[in-house]
Parts: sequence; C-alpha cells; structure tokens
Amino acid sequence: MEYSAESLVPFGPIHPALKEPEYFKLVLEGERIIDVIPRIGYVHRGLEKAAESRPWVQNMYMFERTCGICSFVHSLCYGQAVEELTLFQVPKRAKYIRTIIAEMERIHSHLLWVGLMGHWAGFDTLFMWVWNDREVVLDLVEAISGNRVHKSMNAFCGVRRDMPENMKDRIVERMKFLTDRARYYREVIDTEETMLVRTENIGRVSQDTAEKLCAVGPMARYVGLRQDVRLNDPYAAYDEVPLDIVTTTEGDVHALLRLRLDELVASANIVSYAVENLPDGPIRVKVPPVIPAGEHSSHCEAPRGEIFYYVKSSGGRTPERVKSRQPTMANLPTALEMLKGQTLADIPIVLTAIDPCFGCMDRMSFYDTETNRRWTWSGEELRQYGVNHYFPDRSKKQRGFTKAIDSSINRRQRESI
Amino acid sequence: MSETLTQLGKYAEEVGTKVIQLRKNESTVEVTQDRLKVFVAHLVNDLHVRHLMTITGLDVGQNLVIIYNFSLERDTIHVKTSVPKTNPQAVSIVDIVPGAILYEMELHDMFGIELIGNPWKDQKLLLPDEWPADLPPPLLKTTKPDQIRRRLGLEAAKP
Repeated sequence: MEYSAESLVPFGPIHPALKEPEYFKLVLEGERIIDVIPRIGYVHRGLEKAAESRPWVQNMYMFERTCGICSFVHSLCYGQAVEELTLFQVPKRAKYIRTIIAEMERIHSHLLWVGLMGHWAGFDTLFMWVWNDREVVLDLVEAISGNRVHKSMNAFCGVRRDMPENMKDRIVERMKFLTDRARYYREVIDTEETMLVRTENIGRVSQDTAEKLCAVGPMARYVGLRQDVRLNDPYAAYDEVPLDIVTTTEGDVHALLRLRLDELVASANIVSYAVENLPDGPIRVKVPPVIPAGEHSSHCEAPRGEIFYYVKSSGGRTPERVKSRQPTMANLPTALEMLKGQTLADIPIVLTAIDPCFGCMDRMSFYDTETNRRWTWSGEELRQYGVNHYFPDRSKKQRGFTKAIDSSINRRQRESI
Repeated sequence: MSETLTQLGKYAEEVGTKVIQLRKNESTVEVTQDRLKVFVAHLVNDLHVRHLMTITGLDVGQNLVIIYNFSLERDTIHVKTSVPKTNPQAVSIVDIVPGAILYEMELHDMFGIELIGNPWKDQKLLLPDEWPADLPPPLLKTTKPDQIRRRLGLEAAKP
C-alpha cells in the first residue's frame, strides 16, 4: 500500500473571547509543516467604512477599540495624522504624557506576552508570576487615566487628563520594581530548562526574508534589523527621551523572549525619565470639529510593531477615508515563513511568538489523508501534546516551578554568604 | 530633503512624472499603471526603499486610486496609481515586494480590484466566504451599509 506523504491540517478558526482569531491550513509531511495558507477576517468589523460616517473626534475613540491591548497607540497614530491636517501644535507636556502612557502600554503588553509564552511552553508558574507583575503597571495606568485598557486619554492636539499630583515617586519606584523583575525573568528564561528546550532554535527566519516580507517591530528586530519608528521617525517626545533600541541576531523564539524583556527595561527607563522631566504648561489645544481638506499619513511603534494610519479629508465633519494597518497583518507573512519546517508540537509557541494573542487554538481539527481520519483537539490538548512531545518522561509535578525557586534561593544564599 | 528623495526626484523626471512634497518627510508621486512595476523595482532595488508599510485604496469617483505607502527611515513615500472603475485591473508587485501579498488581497476584497500576478488573488482574506457575488465591494463610496445589511438579511440600522 502506498502512503501519501502530505496531510492537510485545518487549524482554527477561532474562539471569540480572545482577539485576532486566525485560521491556518497547514500542509504536513509527517510531523513537519511544509506549507501554511492563512485565512483571517473572522473579526473584521468594517471600522474603515464606519469611520466614513462618523465625526472626526468620535473616530478617535472608535479606533482606540481596534485592539484590546495596545489601544492607546491607535488613537495616538490616528490623532497624529489628523493633527498634521489641522496645523495646530501639540503642547510639550501633552507629548510627554503621551510618551508615558504609550510606554506603559508597551510594558503591559510585553508582560502579557511573556506570560503567554510561559503558558504555551508548559511553564505556568512564569505565566502567573508575570501576570501578577502586570497588575503593577495596569494600576499605574488606571491611576493616571481612570481606565485599565481603553484609556481614552488622547484628544486632537493634546491629552484629556493631566498627570495626577504626587505620582512621580510612585511611578519611578514601580518602574524600578518592574526593571528588577524583568532582569529576574531574563535569568529564568536563560537558565530554566523548560523555556530553553521549547524556544531555542525554533522559529528561525533569515534577515533577508524578514526584510523582504516587510516585517515590523520585534519581528524585525530579532533578526537584527534596526527597525523602530521611535528611532527612525520620532513622534511624541521620543526625540528627547533616552531611547535604547534592542536588537538581537540569534533569530529564534528564545531571542524574541530576551528582546522583549530587554525592551521592557528600556521602556521603564523612558517612563522614569519622562516622569522626572515632565515639562509644565497646557495639556491641550482646542481644535474645531471641521478638519481642513488634505491627506496625511502617520506611523507609530505599537508594542507589536509599526502601525500605520492614512487619513484623507475633504474639509467636512467626517473623514473621506481612513486606512489603518495593524502590525500583525504586516507580520503574518513572516510568521508563515517561521512556521515552515517546524513540527506540529511547535505551532503554539511559534504562533504566540509573533504576539497575535490568538484564540484560534481552542478548536482545531486534523485531517489525515492516509486514513481519511478526522479528529479535533482543544487548545489545551494541543498544548499538552506540545509539552509531552518535548518532555515525555515528565511527571505531573511542576518541575519548572521548583527549579526556578531553587535557583533563586541558592543565588540569594550565595549572595548573603 | 534626503539623498534618496533627491535621487527619486531625478528618476521621476526621467520617466515623465514628479515627486510632490506634501510635508516635511512626506512625499507623493503619481505613476501610470504600465510604468508602476518598473518604478517600484527602481525604488526597491536601486534606492533600497524596501519597507512597504501598506497599500491604501481610495474611491475618487470615476477611478480607484491605489497608494503604495513606502517608508525609509524618516521619509514616507506614497506611490500613487489609478485604475478605472469600469475595468478594475491592476498589476501585482508581489514579485518585487513579497510582503505586499496580503495587502493586495485586502485591496481585492475591499475595492474589487483584480491584482494580476498575485498567486492568492482568488482567495478571500477579510470578507466572509459567503459574501454574495452581487454585492459591490464594501469600501466603494456607492456601497451603503444599509444595502449590505438588507442583502445579508440583517436588520436595518437604527435611525
């Protein structure tokens, strides 16, 4: 009997509880992925069309709801595109407050991602620790803006809320705490066997491929491209704060982990600097509801990479056209390249590595062309499959947890001696 | 004006078009459909403007405008081209910029422009598979949200 070498695995689509559901058709050769065909659009809500019938200001808060994690940077980018059309200047204090919120958003997004990576690698302790620390930065964001995620801080040519009094010391102290935590996690991922086995030499892509496929953000920086809008085309107060652009050349998922933790430290430094050097002055300029005719585009560095907004006005109360492009869309072709050559067990870790915050794992069906057999796995089963694939003799006890605790205790003992 | 933009300006004059500076760091250049591929190839291969941010579609009445939004460090370069609405066919630049593949699919979904040369041009990317063939592409100015709702059997929007 002849066996067909390839099998087709439909992957996804979705669980609507998480954002960015995607569907992938995976062509497998045994355990290896040889081709991936994407299908997105399951949560396409027609924001661009909706924007054409809404007032300029309303659109700002609608576009903020594009994403449930990096919400602020969307309103910032849309706002900047419109501000260029109005010819009003943004006050300096507002620029600093924008920078502070944007960097805090990056910190909470990166922490969320590191936690998810721990979860999918089978190291749930990391997930719980990191998400606990994430509350620290979310509390700060709440104290400044009144909201945890959808901050609604932006207005045209300014921000809506001033920094509260006497927050400076608290923010600097919390940023120092987060920096220490990030350094500790960096040590954990570099020494902990669970993370090393699951992430090293996985998800490789060449620098040339990433550049050709127009990768953005951490996905470009982890192969050594110095691509960061904050550096290349500074907006808000990024031309005045100390900017540390992190790049790595290892180019695997482990490098992405290290890169994002280092970026977290860099972001904490920016926040501390901006808070300590916050200029005085007004926070907002009133802008009339009618925006002059013209077209302009703006791009910003979201936690996941560059986002892009194009705005066209015909001089009315509503935009003529708004185009928005999110980083996951730009990174998807690169992610497909990363998946090729990996095993089925690596899918969760590689797809999470591009930071799509995906819920497509929750329902997954498999199709074997040899036997015409179909079966379905839940996300948890796939995760377990991945963990068992790498640690077949692993018992139920949480080895990762005990080892990390041991190493931290040993280190402390050594230091005290 | 950066070195790249100066060179681009010279090249644009050679092929009979002009780089217009919209604002500091933002320029736009219009090219015809038949010259588009040569122009983009020069931009990407010779001037090393390799990062395509996205492709924007615009409905301007008789024509559909396609804007290729490139960026190089501080500069944003919009390469504009237009196709008639009656025959919405455009050349694909996937062989020059492989990263354009999904943006072109999006353009096909949202404006109904057929991208000749795109390997995945017959697949849908953002619209649902069951999107009716008689419904016009959603981002055309003539397509109204109520029309889509009625055709899909959804209730009309509240006044």
